[in-house]
Amino acid sequence: MNDYKTTVGIEVHCELKTNAKMFSDSLNNYGGVANVNINEIDFALPGTLPTINQYGVELGIKVALVLNCEINKKVVFDRKNYFYPDLPKGYQITQARNPIGVNGYVEIEVDGQKKKIGIHDIHLEEDTCKSTHADTKSYLDFNRNGVPLLEIVSEPDMNSPEEAMAYLEKLKELLLYANVSDCKMEEGSMRCDVNVSVSKTNQLGTRTETKNIGSISSVGRAISSEAIRQIQELEQGNVIHDETRRYDEKQDRTILMRVKETGNDYRYFPEPDLPSYIITDNDIEKVKETLEVMPDKRRAFYLEKGISSVNSDKLIQNKQLSDFLLGLEDIDLVIASNLLLGDISSYLNKTEKKITETSLTKDKLREVTTMLSTGEITNKVFKDIVVDLMGTNLSIKEIIEKKGIKTISDENALLEIVTKVIEANPESVKDYHEGKDRAIKYLMGQIMKETKGQANAAIVSRLLQEELNK
Amino acid sequence: MNKLSREEVLHVAHLARIKVTDEEIEKYQIDLKKLLDDVDKINDIEVESEELLVTPVEQDSVLRSDQETSSVSFEEIKKNVPAVTGNFVEVPVMIGE
Repeated sequence: MNDYKTTVGIEVHCELKTNAKMFSDSLNNYGGVANVNINEIDFALPGTLPTINQYGVELGIKVALVLNCEINKKVVFDRKNYFYPDLPKGYQITQARNPIGVNGYVEIEVDGQKKKIGIHDIHLEEDTCKSTHADTKSYLDFNRNGVPLLEIVSEPDMNSPEEAMAYLEKLKELLLYANVSDCKMEEGSMRCDVNVSVSKTNQLGTRTETKNIGSISSVGRAISSEAIRQIQELEQGNVIHDETRRYDEKQDRTILMRVKETGNDYRYFPEPDLPSYIITDNDIEKVKETLEVMPDKRRAFYLEKGISSVNSDKLIQNKQLSDFLLGLEDIDLVIASNLLLGDISSYLNKTEKKITETSLTKDKLREVTTMLSTGEITNKVFKDIVVDLMGTNLSIKEIIEKKGIKTISDENALLEIVTKVIEANPESVKDYHEGKDRAIKYLMGQIMKETKGQANAAIVSRLLQEELNK
Repeated sequence: MNKLSREEVLHVAHLARIKVTDEEIEKYQIDLKKLLDDVDKINDIEVESEELLVTPVEQDSVLRSDQETSSVSFEEIKKNVPAVTGNFVEVPVMIGE
């Protein structure tokens, strides 16, 4: 069974974070009370005409740039015709002939191996309404109808569940950093359909499409189980049909869905209600100016600054924290990232707040990081002040005073403690002189214990070295 | 061939989600073929440009700002839908979505 090669291509739909809908000027917001963000255009009442949302086009350009696509400067739309209650017009406005971006790629890494996954095209379209089904009735909420949707179609360049998952993770990361979509698969703002085929030769086998899978890890499982099913079918002498399936999470298998229209059945034709729009170089430049520093660049910078690769990844995965470090590139980023990923993250999780909703400012993070790097305060002190730092507008000095925390910087007082600790630990002193690094750490720890963590670490470190080397 | 096949008529009827009787199928086999032949005459016209003329209006779209929004109350919309449950539009169940 191992001589079969699995091939995977993925279509991702993501909802764009605009204020208004793509082709109508009703509000882009759903999930609350049903059928409130709707208007005549969404309901396709006679005499209404669509218009193109400028920001929707700009976000399309942005994704094209981020995914290394060539931009088709002539923006035109087409009608994809099908009768279904979730689409009152009887057609979806989409881009079939001339998608806004083509021939792009995304670079992924699996087990240390880098690979480029081709992007066939990205195109702008509109979402359908949200339907809930009961026994004999379906209930429709048109708030989602017309929400800007960007479909990203990959080339069949992936050959394992791991590559597919890495591709989706990477895509999600890029879309989040481009600030175009919130990419929540559980809420449906990012959805994927996977095309899977297996073959023993270089010629691709017949593919099936598995629709609307709920999470990135489910995509991996769905691909595994669908590939195994296809191999079993072929081994039994059966043929694979070009069909649409869905993944059943509980049974861990894909199930055949009702056969829907495909290809020509959609009777695509140019949307006559929307004249073309020509993207200018100026439009593209304007969009480029809004692009933030992309994750790959941030990751490389973190590694260069000495942040571990695990912590670098954690920062990238938590964009609000990564964003908070923008403009603070000159401080000790190892210390700052430890604070952000440690005590600050715990505080944010506990209070269910975003970092921008707290009293912590970039200036305060800079100040406290510097205080830690010079030894003016210790990690223990930071733990004691973090709640006030995040929750009050007091300055760091005021918090330390209020808490009654003293940082001992008096050299004479510290020297006394240093001497005492050295006298009490002759073994460690011996170890130190024999070149054992651990000894000095142990002695530092003992001094901190004596001073209840309030000693200025930089001064202690200097005094300790001086005393040991006397 | 001067008429469409039965299957072709049934396929088109399915795409339009309409039921057709045997009698209607026979009628549409001929009618639809005539329609197609009439439309086919367009192919005889010699054109200079290969580019598709979507609209005779030679003006580009003016894009709409993302800022202003409008809405229509569900009370108004209700008048144009077959049935309503609470704030939802109700339709016969859509099977196998």
